[in-house]
Amino acid sequence: MAEAAAVERALGVLTERLDERTAAFLNACVRCGLCADSCHVHLADGDPASTPVAKVERVAKHYRRYHTLLGRVVPGLVGAEDLTDAALQELVAAAFGRCTLCGRCALTCSVGLDPSAVIRFGRTMLLAAGLVPKGILANRDAALETGNNMRLSREDVVETIQWLEEDLRQTLGDPAVRLPVDEAGARVLYVLNPREIKFFPLSISAAGAIFHAAGESWTLTSTDFDITNYGFFAADAEAAGAISAKVIERAEALGVEELVVAECGHGYRTLRWEAPEWLGRAPKVRVVSFVEKMAEYLADGRIRLAPTRNPLPVTLHDPCNLVRNGGVIEEQRVVLRSAAAAFVEMTPNRAENYCCGGGGGLLAASEFAAQRVAAGRIKADQIRATGAKVVTSPCHNCIDQLMELNRHYKLGVEVKTLGEVVADALVPPPPVA
Amino acid sequence: MTLPSLVLFLAFAISLASFVVLRLGLGRRVATPFAPPRASAAAGVRYAFTTAFLPWAKESARQHLTSYVAGIVFHGAVFAALGLLVLSLVHVAPPPGASTVLAVAFAAGLACGLGLLGKRARTAALRAVSTPEDVAANLFVNAVLAAGIAAVLRPALLPVFQLVGAALLLYAPLGKLRHMLFLLTSRRYWGTYFGRRGVRPSPRQAAGPRG
Ligand code: SF4
Ligand code: SF4
Repeated sequence: MAEAAAVERALGVLTERLDERTAAFLNACVRCGLCADSCHVHLADGDPASTPVAKVERVAKHYRRYHTLLGRVVPGLVGAEDLTDAALQELVAAAFGRCTLCGRCALTCSVGLDPSAVIRFGRTMLLAAGLVPKGILANRDAALETGNNMRLSREDVVETIQWLEEDLRQTLGDPAVRLPVDEAGARVLYVLNPREIKFFPLSISAAGAIFHAAGESWTLTSTDFDITNYGFFAADAEAAGAISAKVIERAEALGVEELVVAECGHGYRTLRWEAPEWLGRAPKVRVVSFVEKMAEYLADGRIRLAPTRNPLPVTLHDPCNLVRNGGVIEEQRVVLRSAAAAFVEMTPNRAENYCCGGGGGLLAASEFAAQRVAAGRIKADQIRATGAKVVTSPCHNCIDQLMELNRHYKLGVEVKTLGEVVADALVPPPPVA
Repeated sequence: MTLPSLVLFLAFAISLASFVVLRLGLGRRVATPFAPPRASAAAGVRYAFTTAFLPWAKESARQHLTSYVAGIVFHGAVFAALGLLVLSLVHVAPPPGASTVLAVAFAAGLACGLGLLGKRARTAALRAVSTPEDVAANLFVNAVLAAGIAAVLRPALLPVFQLVGAALLLYAPLGKLRHMLFLLTSRRYWGTYFGRRGVRPSPRQAAGPRG
């Protein structure tokens, strides 16, 4: 029976793949429920099944059944349950439909465990059972097969960049501006989210303008440029490692010093923090976020900004993977204070900011679209409370969700990447004599 | 050594050995990270075991101050009771006057323990995740606190306290009370994760613009 085999495979993960950290978390949770109000999904729907602890329990009850004495002998006493096909379906609803793996609950847990790590482990069990949403798997497979999740050909990329370069020269009135591609020996390789090429090319132009103003030696790449990682969302460490390896190896082959990751929260997190663990080695290049790079340029006086060019009040959405799970927290603030006349913080913000609702790969899981938008109500309320007219976020994934929230909740704001806000405020460098 | 003292001593030994076995069999060790740190893992771990316990450190404590205080009082009383059980093995009596303090502390712990149990029963989100053992473990610990009150007010009842305490020690590695060990491992991993990434104790400051 197909279901029985799926259950067996998921059980195999529970037995063989559990590491000390996740097992400690599973044993440490006391079901105190103090994490409940930290989760945007639960705050939005009020459903007891949406609390972080309820999602942890979707894994923990099976852990107790198969890995603890009381769970084996008196399962009813300790709430231990057999893993069944129905239980796996409930785990899908919990680990995908109700969780973006944003990790906010980890900051509030009374014991000091990370519920999102347990829920991610639940996704690994689902991967083995063949129950990861198809949209996430399709993007993972596209990246593995073609080097990017949108299956863009090398020609698509090069043509788009050439067109953007022409356009940027006209916009800036500077024929010296370049969007270099595949230039070995450049100091910086700038890698992208493929959606930028297809749908948001202006964010590439913005980056080009900033690199140009900073006088950076940089290049794009026509292959292996995709910073997104749906292997990560599928909790498929092997695939995630292979996807990240393509980008890191491309940077190493080009001989750059720095791999600058465009505005993508999970792209930064995977390349900066997770890939070295998947690959078993540190990259030979420094992995840095474009946000950090812009802050460095400002600190070094390599770019100058005129905040009056962004006169409307701007608020900032902190991407969970860049901020809470990535540690890039203050740089975007330094940048925004220089780039916008009025920067208004959301409440709460920084590491305690709420997820926009579009994390965890949910934008690719159409079966959960309604839940995703409903869970985004907390973010919409946060935005509305700031009174800002512009919302910026250094993450294309968040930008997609914020644009949808803008339409759905009628927020009446403009949604922009941080690079676009900075590019709008750029004081052009003096022409080269 | 009295029989209850012997039973208590053996319970301590068995409990400790069981915890060691549990800890060693926890799962595959996590490899030393390869990603270069952004900040200090050690600082994160120090934070996890110190400042992170303060009521203003976590949103959950700030929002649920009553539960936070009840939890602190409850756990403080449990540790005091365990300390008293250890002292009873080495025949050290609490100093004069301490009995009243201990009785009050145990009573406060008992009240808080029962209060937390009441909250579990009243709150829908908690009921949804509660198991019979959540109730049993709470009552078990409260029984020890009650026996502790009896023992400090009536020293003749010390053997009862010792036997109830021994039963709790034997039970602890089996059920949710094992969190007393795994909390330590969890916090170490938690502190390492957020410390290395520069999220806790505090974010790395970024230099301001020049020029
Ligand atoms: S990781 Fe985020 S979405 Fe998932 S349970 Fe925790 S707070 Fe909720
Ligand atoms: S706060 Fe931590 S220990 Fe309490 S229920 Fe949530 S995850 Fe479990």
